[in-house]
Amino acid sequence: MNTFLLTELITPDANVSLILPELIVAVTGIVVMLYDSFVPRQRMVSGAISLIGLAAAAIVLGSMWGTAAPTGWNGMIAHDNLRLGFSFVFLFVSAMTILVSTVWVDREDVPVGEYHALLMFATFGMMIMSAGSDLVTIFLGLETLSIATYVMAGLRKSDLKSNESAMKYFILGSFASAFLLYGMALIYGATGTTQIAEIADKVANPNFPGLLLVGGAMLLIGFGFKIAMAPFHVWTPDVYEGAPTPVTGFMAAGPKAAAFASFLRVFVLGFPLVAGAQASGYLHQSWIGAVTVMAMVTIIVGNVAAIMQDNVKRMLAYSSIAHAGYALVGFVGAGLAKSTQARDEAIAAVAFYMLTYAVTNMGAFGIVTLLAQKNDRRNQFEDYNGIGFKSPLLAFSLSLFMLSLFGLPLTAGFMGKILIFRPALESGNTLVVGLVVVAVIGSAISAYYYLRLIVVMFFRERTTSWTDPKIPLPLAAALIITVIGVFYLGLFSGGLIERFAQPGAPTVIASER
Amino acid sequence: MDFINSNLLTILILIPLVGAVLTLGHQMFWKQDGQLKWLTLGFTLVNFVVSLALFSSSATAGPSGFFFEQNVAWIKAINTNYHVGVDGLSFWLVILTTFIMPIAVISTWHAVEKKATAFYIFLLLLESAMIGVFVSLDLLVFYLFFEASLIPMFFLIGVWGGENRIYAAVKFFIFTALGSLLMLVAIIALFFMYADQTGLGGSFDLVSILNAMKAGNLVLGPQAGMLLFLAFALAFSIKVPLFPFHTWLPDAHTEAPTAGSVILAAVLLKMGTYGLMRFNFALFPDQARETAWIFITLSIIGIIYGALVAMVQPDVKRLVAYSSVAHMGFVMLGMFSFTEAGMQGALFTMLAHGVTTGALFLLVGFIYERRHTRKISDFGGLANVMPIYTTVFVITTMASVGLPFLNGFVGEFLIMIGMFQSQALAITSTVNWNYIAAMLAGTGVIFAAVYLLWMVQRVFFGKVTNEKNRVLADLSWREIGLMVPLLVLMVYMGVFPKPFLARSEDAVKAIKERVMHQAGGTIEKTEVRPHVTATENR
Repeated sequence: MNTFLLTELITPDANVSLILPELIVAVTGIVVMLYDSFVPRQRMVSGAISLIGLAAAAIVLGSMWGTAAPTGWNGMIAHDNLRLGFSFVFLFVSAMTILVSTVWVDREDVPVGEYHALLMFATFGMMIMSAGSDLVTIFLGLETLSIATYVMAGLRKSDLKSNESAMKYFILGSFASAFLLYGMALIYGATGTTQIAEIADKVANPNFPGLLLVGGAMLLIGFGFKIAMAPFHVWTPDVYEGAPTPVTGFMAAGPKAAAFASFLRVFVLGFPLVAGAQASGYLHQSWIGAVTVMAMVTIIVGNVAAIMQDNVKRMLAYSSIAHAGYALVGFVGAGLAKSTQARDEAIAAVAFYMLTYAVTNMGAFGIVTLLAQKNDRRNQFEDYNGIGFKSPLLAFSLSLFMLSLFGLPLTAGFMGKILIFRPALESGNTLVVGLVVVAVIGSAISAYYYLRLIVVMFFRERTTSWTDPKIPLPLAAALIITVIGVFYLGLFSGGLIERFAQPGAPTVIASER
Repeated sequence: MDFINSNLLTILILIPLVGAVLTLGHQMFWKQDGQLKWLTLGFTLVNFVVSLALFSSSATAGPSGFFFEQNVAWIKAINTNYHVGVDGLSFWLVILTTFIMPIAVISTWHAVEKKATAFYIFLLLLESAMIGVFVSLDLLVFYLFFEASLIPMFFLIGVWGGENRIYAAVKFFIFTALGSLLMLVAIIALFFMYADQTGLGGSFDLVSILNAMKAGNLVLGPQAGMLLFLAFALAFSIKVPLFPFHTWLPDAHTEAPTAGSVILAAVLLKMGTYGLMRFNFALFPDQARETAWIFITLSIIGIIYGALVAMVQPDVKRLVAYSSVAHMGFVMLGMFSFTEAGMQGALFTMLAHGVTTGALFLLVGFIYERRHTRKISDFGGLANVMPIYTTVFVITTMASVGLPFLNGFVGEFLIMIGMFQSQALAITSTVNWNYIAAMLAGTGVIFAAVYLLWMVQRVFFGKVTNEKNRVLADLSWREIGLMVPLLVLMVYMGVFPKPFLARSEDAVKAIKERVMHQAGGTIEKTEVRPHVTATENR
């Protein structure tokens, strides 16, 4: 598209159509921010603007699905199933967060314009993270996302716990970003490029394997922090417990999925196994081994620690750690995939898993938000005692979400698990099959704490008084969407899975060029 | 007729499901608690009547030997199909399910006061799931129903159960879920082995997988085959439950409400034994043969251990629960004898146990509703106060003990014949272990007589020791009406077992062929079994 040779270096290879969904979200954020500065605290309006923006982005995203890849931005933006599938998840999470947080926004009198604007910028950051096919783009998206989320975690300014949460998140997040950046620098040093496709080519080169390995290890640590992979998960429970409940839901479903998107792109697409290249084999083998072992630890730690929690939010935080572990099963499966098609399917499986987790998780956090009351007063398991038949609608929905998190057939969680176990089992690698068995045992353990919520809600009697909380309309909408979503994804997800796996443009991977 | 033939099983699954939805709607708009039980009873009865269409002689078996087969693509991305059908193995189990459900509903006529809507909805959902388990021929769909049956039962025990219900409900759920999750891994692994070896893409379809195996297109290595076999077997053994996985059963049975115990004993336990025959024997015949000695040993331990523990139970319901462990041990023994007599006996005992133990739980429920205790020591001399109840109870007990001309006898007799003939143990040893196994199992029958009769003696005979028992009302017409079909069945099955055995004959033969085929030559000492059934019929 650029015909002027002389200006090629300075003119950005701009192609707006390629990043239209991202642009729409960013512009929506700016509009919300501006609107709020002139007409402050109009929560309905700013929420509506954000939702319209997200919907428009989703429509554009949908129209991009199945079209040939447009080029632009000098290859810094990808157009493949990884980006589209994950971006869809982000838009969904963001929209649900807006709906779910209305009740909290009212209760706590949150500066709503800022909140919605920050959410839009965070969404923009996530989308860039999944779209970035260059280490620099990924880092850009990550920082946009992180800064917005640091502020969101601390939005309850008067609350000590919220401040603690924001502070911890900020310090540890920056720490992780530093690792990532250093790793990227080392990779650049080793390969001379930041383009992931080119890195995948260079990996085969027998030079610099040492530097590559160190850089890869740094990236692994950085991403490990972001997706809360054990042993880098320690910050999660505190941050999740302290952050406002809807923000916690958002953080568990959105930013984590975004980190997974980049993690997948850098490792699965960037460090593939190139036939006959010893260095690449060594690199590939070491990251697969490391991630497999860490995934096992993540699953065990998340599930075992979740059993011991008395606070529902903290339990959900540990459960999100365990779910990151399950998603890693699909991740490893993608890394070991024997063909491009199998790899795309495995990536789609991880994206789909994130979608199922997002649907379930946002629903659960919606109810937890509603029941929590001001200042998160009601968050202990015992606060849920015997509400089952007093608020049957909420209690049965929450039970459904718990069963979906557990992975019961007919629900979204089951389909997600089936899909991520498939590529891992297909690889036939003994260690990875062991990982699947660990994941299965982990799921069995998880039955205990998911059921515990059902048990306290339905099987115990309430001793204190209980008034059935009124469900505001936006939250009701969110609950209807998520409940239907859980069943839809569990029963009729066939078409969606295929879509996730096969966008029109086949991705070109380095080893095949 | 064509429509019904090809959709009958789906209709059977859907009727309770629709019933559950309508019950919920009814309650939301009219709030008539009193009508709920009628509504639920109506749906379960309709389902029973519809299920009688399975007897229709116009039905023809599909190419894969299943009747009323239906195969519809469900999720193409993972190539899973909604594939259902019945054959001799599942035929009576489906009927048993639809038969026992109305009885379970009537049994709770006055018992469930609190949260009745949810109770009846869970009962209906449970029925759908149970029928689904017995008819699905796609591994994933089977797994789906298998797990789905957990939730309603979990709630039934947890909400409407006894004092210790929470512990029992959670234990029930976690035991079963752990086993079945490993089975899920095995199912997916099988999917890929099929894909790898046949080159047709993966499949969850039992019929396709079996065909590939029979044609030699799908060969499991000894190691992989054993792992897969064990994953399936663990899931089913927990469900049966086989010793030492039985510990959830007494708790669940004791704490569950009467309807829950009845369904648990009559149908849910059979999912385990059914699964072993349908999947483990068919898919992994070699492994089943190699490990038969383990299962036979555990079954015998279960038979004797269950009986001994039952003997010392102070609680009638717990006693019946442990007798289930013993009876299911017999079923397992018959199955792993790999003889026609043994397997037929196992299938027959599954039905007989469903009817008899279901009836026993009902009877225990009757007395519990009156006295709010189940302790044997609280009773004594009930025969003087409740003559009808005593009569019914004693007949049911006799059926459970295995008195000739009642249903318990036929199955246990066939199982022991099967075990005597069995070559399952000869494969791994030259000693005639099969005689020893059969004899040990035989002691189980004696023990059963001891603990059941002793219980009957303490509860019903002698003088009335507790004043509270003097005023107990005898069975009401509702309760008598409930017991009559069960008593009729006990006698009918005991005197005329032929129609029950005839249905499963072909299926059992096929399974026996499959398991013993590679063992080299004819294994069974022939001519005995027809002779046995012939005498039974008269």
